Amino acid sequence: MYSRFYLSVLLISGLLVLAYLGFTAYDSFMPEWMSYQFEYRDYLTKNAKDDAAKKLARALPLEFTQVYLGEMNKVDRCTNCHMGVENPLMENTRLPYKKHSGNYLVNHPVDKFGCTVCHEGQGSATNTKEAHGKGHDTHWDTPILPLAYVQSSCAQCHDTNMLSKSGGDKVAKGEALFMEKGCKGCHKLKGVGGDLGKPLDKVGRQPIAYFTMKHIVGEHTVFNWLKQHFDDPRAIAPDSAMKVKLGEGEADLLTTYMLTLRPDEKPKSYRRINFNEPPVQNGETLYKSYCSACHGDGKKSLYDEVFKRTVPAIMNPSLLKVMDDTNLDKILKEGRTGTQMTAWKKTAAGLTDEQIKEIVTYMAANRPADRPEPFRLAEFKGDLSHGKEVYDLRCAVCHGTNGKGGEDMLGVSLRSKVVQKMIDPEVLAITVRDGRADTPMPAFGSDPFGMSKQDIADVVAYIKDFQSGGGK
Amino acid sequence: MNETDQTGLSKFAGNVKGLANTFIGSVFRNGKPTSDKTRASAVFNNFFLHIQGVKTHINTLRPSYTLGLGLITFFLLVIVVASGVFLMVYYNPSVENAYQSVKNINQVVFAGKVSRNVHKWAGEGMIVFLFLHMARVFFTGSYKAGREFNWVVGIVLLVLTFALNLSGYLLPWDQLSYWALVIVANIMQSPKELTDSLGLTKYFDVGTYTGNLFLGGSIPTKESLNRVYLFHVMVLPMVIYVVVGLHFWRIRKDGGMTKPDLFNTKASDMGIMVQPKKSGGIFPTHKTYGLMELARGKTPAVDKDVENTVMSWPNLLIAELAVLMFTLAGTLIYSYYMDAPLKEFANPLIPENPAKAPWYFLGLQELLSYSAFMGGTGLPGLALLGLALIPYLDREQDNVGVWFTSKMGKRIALESMVISIIVIIAMLAFAVNFGWLRNWFPEIPQLVITFVNPGTIWVGFMMLWSLCTIRRTGSTRMGAMALFVMFLVSYLILTYFATDMRGPNWDFYWSKSQWPIH
Repeated sequence: MYSRFYLSVLLISGLLVLAYLGFTAYDSFMPEWMSYQFEYRDYLTKNAKDDAAKKLARALPLEFTQVYLGEMNKVDRCTNCHMGVENPLMENTRLPYKKHSGNYLVNHPVDKFGCTVCHEGQGSATNTKEAHGKGHDTHWDTPILPLAYVQSSCAQCHDTNMLSKSGGDKVAKGEALFMEKGCKGCHKLKGVGGDLGKPLDKVGRQPIAYFTMKHIVGEHTVFNWLKQHFDDPRAIAPDSAMKVKLGEGEADLLTTYMLTLRPDEKPKSYRRINFNEPPVQNGETLYKSYCSACHGDGKKSLYDEVFKRTVPAIMNPSLLKVMDDTNLDKILKEGRTGTQMTAWKKTAAGLTDEQIKEIVTYMAANRPADRPEPFRLAEFKGDLSHGKEVYDLRCAVCHGTNGKGGEDMLGVSLRSKVVQKMIDPEVLAITVRDGRADTPMPAFGSDPFGMSKQDIADVVAYIKDFQSGGGK
Repeated sequence: MNETDQTGLSKFAGNVKGLANTFIGSVFRNGKPTSDKTRASAVFNNFFLHIQGVKTHINTLRPSYTLGLGLITFFLLVIVVASGVFLMVYYNPSVENAYQSVKNINQVVFAGKVSRNVHKWAGEGMIVFLFLHMARVFFTGSYKAGREFNWVVGIVLLVLTFALNLSGYLLPWDQLSYWALVIVANIMQSPKELTDSLGLTKYFDVGTYTGNLFLGGSIPTKESLNRVYLFHVMVLPMVIYVVVGLHFWRIRKDGGMTKPDLFNTKASDMGIMVQPKKSGGIFPTHKTYGLMELARGKTPAVDKDVENTVMSWPNLLIAELAVLMFTLAGTLIYSYYMDAPLKEFANPLIPENPAKAPWYFLGLQELLSYSAFMGGTGLPGLALLGLALIPYLDREQDNVGVWFTSKMGKRIALESMVISIIVIIAMLAFAVNFGWLRNWFPEIPQLVITFVNPGTIWVGFMMLWSLCTIRRTGSTRMGAMALFVMFLVSYLILTYFATDMRGPNWDFYWSKSQWPIH
């Protein structure tokens, strides 16, 4: 009697609507965490020691819980699945309701700290995938930290002194490695350090989108990027100039330390920093932090594959013999234009005058007691045209015909501010005459070259003339 | 006294007994719809139903004629409003809380995720079904014979639907919405390209005015969020309710749905209606009267089609209820499986690459990549104007209510579809392979590119082709047909092209799977 077509559409659609409303309601009544809560209650009931405990366990309410951390504007809902984190009875059970390992929770009760303060992840999420924040499709920048790196969170509230003694050894070791491996020779941290690499402030909390994840194996996360980048910098960032010589496990330690570099500060009531003066660095540690990445131990000049140039041996006795402290101090402060050597003064790379002095003193400790035989350059009058002849014959091979040195050249740039303005011509003359032991720079004053004193004076005059436009 | 008491009490008891009936009777004053008279009054005495005729033409009830598209669009609006009110309970329109409140809707609100999905997909579904409805109205010639203005009202509804969808896009304050809105802000500021090259910007900077009106600045900020929220939940909905009311009212006043002049019932029509039962009425059986039969104008019952109408109660109401339930089921099932996107918290420092407008504006974004003014203002303005003017430029009145008008109409539609597919793909391939004027003449003035670019050439071709069709066939309806088909095809192809084949830096890729990993 009634219209068959529309009635059947109505009926089928109506049934579908009912069914899917039912599914939706079921999903809301029985979320993923509910099944863990059932299991948890069953476990407690089964393992109860006496009737009273059993009764108590049976009466355990299965309900939605959350830890609200007002001061940090955070809400953690992890305990909906991880119900047993503070329950000593759950020591030997399985995740997610297993008790937290160690005694960390004694001083960090869940209701004051939550979970994501240390473990990261998405605290407000209510299913495993989103809560752990793994995978690109969760769109979450701070996925749960692997246990290898979790100590990085300790440094938000504790200083390294405290961590090295109790439970935060990886951070302390990582920081020591960071200083020792000379990372700050190229990277700035809190305004101090070289400028060849990127500044490292906040790197541990940078959004994933800041990193080039193209070559990362596995999950595209910041810690994976850091770790794989330490393993092989150019595999991850093809034009990276970074040098790494790390031993077994040191990449993980450095990654842990990198992850401690975060922009946000935890509220004061959470922090336990003693505000000790940071350890004063002496000349040797300063040298390691800022110089060793390029210069190594400084005894021998090194050809750098990435820079495609020779890095001078700055602690070579024959160099120190001619360079007095004032000259060293100047080079350190002003750097060498046209090379990777940055200016380390306070206004540039950020070292204080005292620190530079410490480094100079440390370097000068190797200086031989005997002074080089003086050249007395003032007694000669340099002849530029003969100087050019000598230069093209002897020097241009390594320092380039225009004196710039640079890429694919063994010699350093002779046009730099340091050579041109800061170094005494006398020092140049002595260097040409005596050469530099353990570097490619030979002694031109003796066999087989046998340049006369006048030749040397002419060539020094020619080089010094670069600054007024000579030698083009 | 005792006797009166008893009478009074028994009266009272009687009233209590009959409470249910009298209450329902006071709401529905016309009794049970058992006769045509009571069926008629069930419709015209009811506030919600009286916008419909007492009688409905069988053609209107045929699913193959309307396909229920307009009703689906309307019911999607109802669903969007209902789910939107539910979401408003939990949503917090501030930059600090918006993102987390949307997360909370997904994470802890009862049925929150599905509700949000329903809101999102029903809203975007409105665009899809609005276009389908528009196509149906166009191809059956239903913008003619007194319905010209209602077509224009429909175009206004199209713009309002776009605006509602767009304003909702910003509210989650995630990367997706933030960067889509940056693109939209650029689209809004597109008149700047023209005023710049004419040197008018310093006198009349219309691009900046429109951008400021919508976003309260040139980029999305907390000002924009307030503003867009206000548009989304108050201003635009209020406007769309009124315009939808007007649209429906005009359907009735313009004479109901169109139907072919030569209409014959078919055996299959019995499946979509209740057999008329001509008993129990006060009117003679060989004659029908409805309230509207006494009114002036083209009402369903005055004309010769009287025989082919049936009572709206229950025929039309069952059909409408079926479409409502069908829409509800479709939305619910789609939303149960497909999650509305929610990306990272908005970060003005990390541009999405590619940053894309919502999908329904991606065709415009593709045109925008050729010329900002034309893609953002010129061509869409022209398209809307062209659509709105169709009923006034094509005034042929024959074969209204017939799909594609005639055999020739079908041929022209097919022909235009094939031609437009070929031409637009060729045009895109050319632009992708060889670039455009700027690549060959770097010094060329921007004004030339504004007026000569793949977008304008395509639109010019469409208009030319349409004029040729009018000349060839001698029919304006055929010209309109060609133009409309080409418009639909280009909207579809440009949208698909810009969605899938434009990757990072707006470079061409064969598919999304080839986009480079960042």
